[in-house]
Amino acid sequence: MSRRVILVCAAVALVWGCVGDVGQDTATLGLAVPDSPLVTLRVMVGTGSVDDPVGKNGLNALTALMIGRGGTNSLSYEELTKILYPWAASINVQHDKEVTTIIGEVHRDHLEPFYKIYRDLIVAPRFDFEDFQRNREFLSNGIVSTLRGNNDEELGKQALNAFLYDGHPYEATEMGTERGLASISLEDVRDFHVQQYTRNNLRIGVAGGYPDGFLTQINNDLVGALPLAIDTSGSSELPEPRILDGLELILVEKEAIATAISIGFPIEINRADDDFYALMIANSYLGEHRTFNGRLMIQMRGRRGLNYGDYSYIENFIQDGGTTFPLPNIPRRQQLFSIWIRPVPHHNAAFALRQAVFELSQLVESGLNEQDFEATRDYLINYSKLYVQTTSRRLGYALDSVFYGTEFFIDEILTRLSRLTVDDVNAAIRRYLQAENLAVAIVTSDAEALWNELSSGEPPSVSYNTEVGDQLLADDQAIKAHPLAFNPDRMRVVTVDEMFVDLEGP
Amino acid sequence: MTKSWVYPMVVLSAWLSVSVVLEAQGDEDIFPFPVSVFELDNGLTVVGVDYDSPGIVAYYTVVRTGSRNEVEPGFSGYAHFFEHMMFRGTETYSTEAYNEEIKRLGADSNAFTTDDWTAYHTVASADALETIMELESDRFLNLSYSVDDYRTEAGAILGEYNLNFSNPVSLLREKVRELAFVSHPYGHTTIGLLEDIQAMPAHYDYSLEFYSRYYRPDNCFVIVVGDFDPTELQQLAVSYYGAWEPGDYEPNIPVEPRQTDERVARISWPNSTLPLLMLAFHVPAFSDQAIDMPALDVLSQLLFSQNAPLYQQLYLRDQTVDVLSGGAVDHRDPPLFEIIARVTKPAQVALVQDAILTEIERFKTEPVDEEVLADTKSAMRYSFARGLDSPGPIAETLAHYLQLTGDIETVNRIYRLYDLVTADDIRRVVNTYFSAANRTVVLLTEVDR
Repeated sequence: MSRRVILVCAAVALVWGCVGDVGQDTATLGLAVPDSPLVTLRVMVGTGSVDDPVGKNGLNALTALMIGRGGTNSLSYEELTKILYPWAASINVQHDKEVTTIIGEVHRDHLEPFYKIYRDLIVAPRFDFEDFQRNREFLSNGIVSTLRGNNDEELGKQALNAFLYDGHPYEATEMGTERGLASISLEDVRDFHVQQYTRNNLRIGVAGGYPDGFLTQINNDLVGALPLAIDTSGSSELPEPRILDGLELILVEKEAIATAISIGFPIEINRADDDFYALMIANSYLGEHRTFNGRLMIQMRGRRGLNYGDYSYIENFIQDGGTTFPLPNIPRRQQLFSIWIRPVPHHNAAFALRQAVFELSQLVESGLNEQDFEATRDYLINYSKLYVQTTSRRLGYALDSVFYGTEFFIDEILTRLSRLTVDDVNAAIRRYLQAENLAVAIVTSDAEALWNELSSGEPPSVSYNTEVGDQLLADDQAIKAHPLAFNPDRMRVVTVDEMFVDLEGP
Repeated sequence: MTKSWVYPMVVLSAWLSVSVVLEAQGDEDIFPFPVSVFELDNGLTVVGVDYDSPGIVAYYTVVRTGSRNEVEPGFSGYAHFFEHMMFRGTETYSTEAYNEEIKRLGADSNAFTTDDWTAYHTVASADALETIMELESDRFLNLSYSVDDYRTEAGAILGEYNLNFSNPVSLLREKVRELAFVSHPYGHTTIGLLEDIQAMPAHYDYSLEFYSRYYRPDNCFVIVVGDFDPTELQQLAVSYYGAWEPGDYEPNIPVEPRQTDERVARISWPNSTLPLLMLAFHVPAFSDQAIDMPALDVLSQLLFSQNAPLYQQLYLRDQTVDVLSGGAVDHRDPPLFEIIARVTKPAQVALVQDAILTEIERFKTEPVDEEVLADTKSAMRYSFARGLDSPGPIAETLAHYLQLTGDIETVNRIYRLYDLVTADDIRRVVNTYFSAANRTVVLLTEVDR
């Protein structure tokens, strides 16, 4: 049972095509899988919610939807869907803080006519007013109805983002704000498209069973059809996020069946930095997403049954559909460390928060031992190879690697993790992780009662479904005794209806 | 010791064979990969799918038990709860030892429960196949957990319920099920009712009974997809599962009486939400022999795909909904054909409901255009092919059809039936199942604040 297991990856050809009359910064990444009947196209545009003009938060998202759920200059959205339907082909958009990605997937039987539509959506979108109204309302409903009232976990994460990045270009949701969306006109969308969807603002990738010459075709009539940016001074420098001072708390009050908690702070590194990979190991040990590997999950759910799951992250993370793997093509220059505590019964919320901070502080103080380091490193080297079981996701990570200026992400994990020592990891923990200056966002039904418990100075209460042993009681005492230094000047209580109205709020 | 057979499908590369199927149709099999099947003496079926995924295998263990089997009052949600208990260890592998092994393998491992079945799935290195089988067979044969572990896990279940029910669709679906069924366990959702979840910590003994009833080889099957040797798979299965004792428990699942009157309810949601409208109609159980459910699957496309006139009217032109979908998930017993609409303006709920019902009425009289029907079948076949992009989804697709009938050929048979659906079939099933008397309607709206 102890033999070492090594995963191997499917061999695929990864090529860069940079041909034709294209800008020097533009190239098409080809990932050929000749036997595959499927073809994926990903065009990553270097525009995100950070590019939304003041007062028009949501303009990037709305422009993206006008492409993903709109027509071309020759086809209305209704006509376009009729053509795509029998092929079961799809065109979707992902819009994030810094990039927007248009993802096309089709059986190669229909690649040629599909590609023409896909291309026209990007280079010559229709911008019908009906589509504009519908897409704007969809985004607005996503904030007013879905985020505020239909999903407490996502609400907690977005509240953390808004709180942590207060005053920073990352502050608004990727959908924008309620008032920002209301102020956007169709003309704004047209102008934004002209400004942002330029030849030198694209990263393009194709994967699967595409024919010879397809990369050249894309470079000629997709890239070549877009204008060069007028102002290539390009992406603005991001300011540093605000400095956290103690435990800063935002309590979002709403009717809630349980309490959702998110904790975080900015970190200075991303996938381009050596220490990111050292921190990957530390993070996996603390809270690998949707596994029982992390201490948070083992101690909070497994041992105590406090909730359904407890995880941590060292970059913005969205689960890719029904998988447990990170969604590609949401890269960001600035990242955050975060802990996600899934809803806990209200009466255990104060304890759950304290335990999460306690576990983080334990990691910072003690680091990993050699055995945990080895086990976690080997796990990540193998597990990360499962990220790329589909060519579409492999292509997505390849484009992310271009964004960060690194080798292919999965290869980076292998080579960089293989070189690390436990001392490297523990040094990175000390350099980048801490448990004193944290932003905490809590969604709960009685904010005042929770704040009173948190600020009382008394140990938090906790109750379990079963009798617990002496060891767990002793461990609980250590958790209860762990100090939480809330900064009362940085504590806010807001009602959910005040969230995401505009950037002056909450 | 075992009986086995191999389906000699295409010898071409796996991906290429998908194309062959889509172009040829007719009598061709929709499932494009070579499949081997064998059954152990104890009744365990083991399926191997040869798929070109160098170095990787998906390993699915499927129990043909879900919330459908929760026939005793007070035990809703139990199949799902028991799925959680399967991660609570054995005498050989404690929870910690099991998790350490999964971590050592670098495996992606989890489980899910539905109305009809429960699946335990692992995707990992191909050379870990024997280790996975050792771990999986051990917990299926030798599960052993304490009362304290049992009660602790109940907290995780409550946590899962809590996160699900911050979404109003969960409440809406729970109400529709409660109204539409008076006898059958489909009257509750898989997560179960809150009061039953809260009572779970007291039911340790029942958990042992549940394990004894359903976690038996003749009620389970194993699917392995990817890079493995079929002969080795068979030898390993005999070695690790051979001692598993078959069971003889037959659940007495009530037959739902025919609904004779429309059932209507209105419920409120304490937070911001757009109105959610759900209409549900009883439809037949899955069959790979009868045309009705395939015809209803085609109908769901004709009504609610992005290409459908109703969708284009309500979503694109009138913009009175921002979510509209409908259909029936394949079930072993008669399920509901559920239609859900999120209405963009509260005053337009009646208008949206009328539009949906009017379109259904149109299908009762007007024959479906043959070209539209052909496009719909094409979309369904290409959509199926697109889903087969890695070992896990391939295993899950096959498991879905296999759990319904126990027959490996079902997946191919059902797609042949889709090809046979005619405009007359569509008109007949709409007339048969979409009556007011067979309808349940629930509207969820934001509470007045």
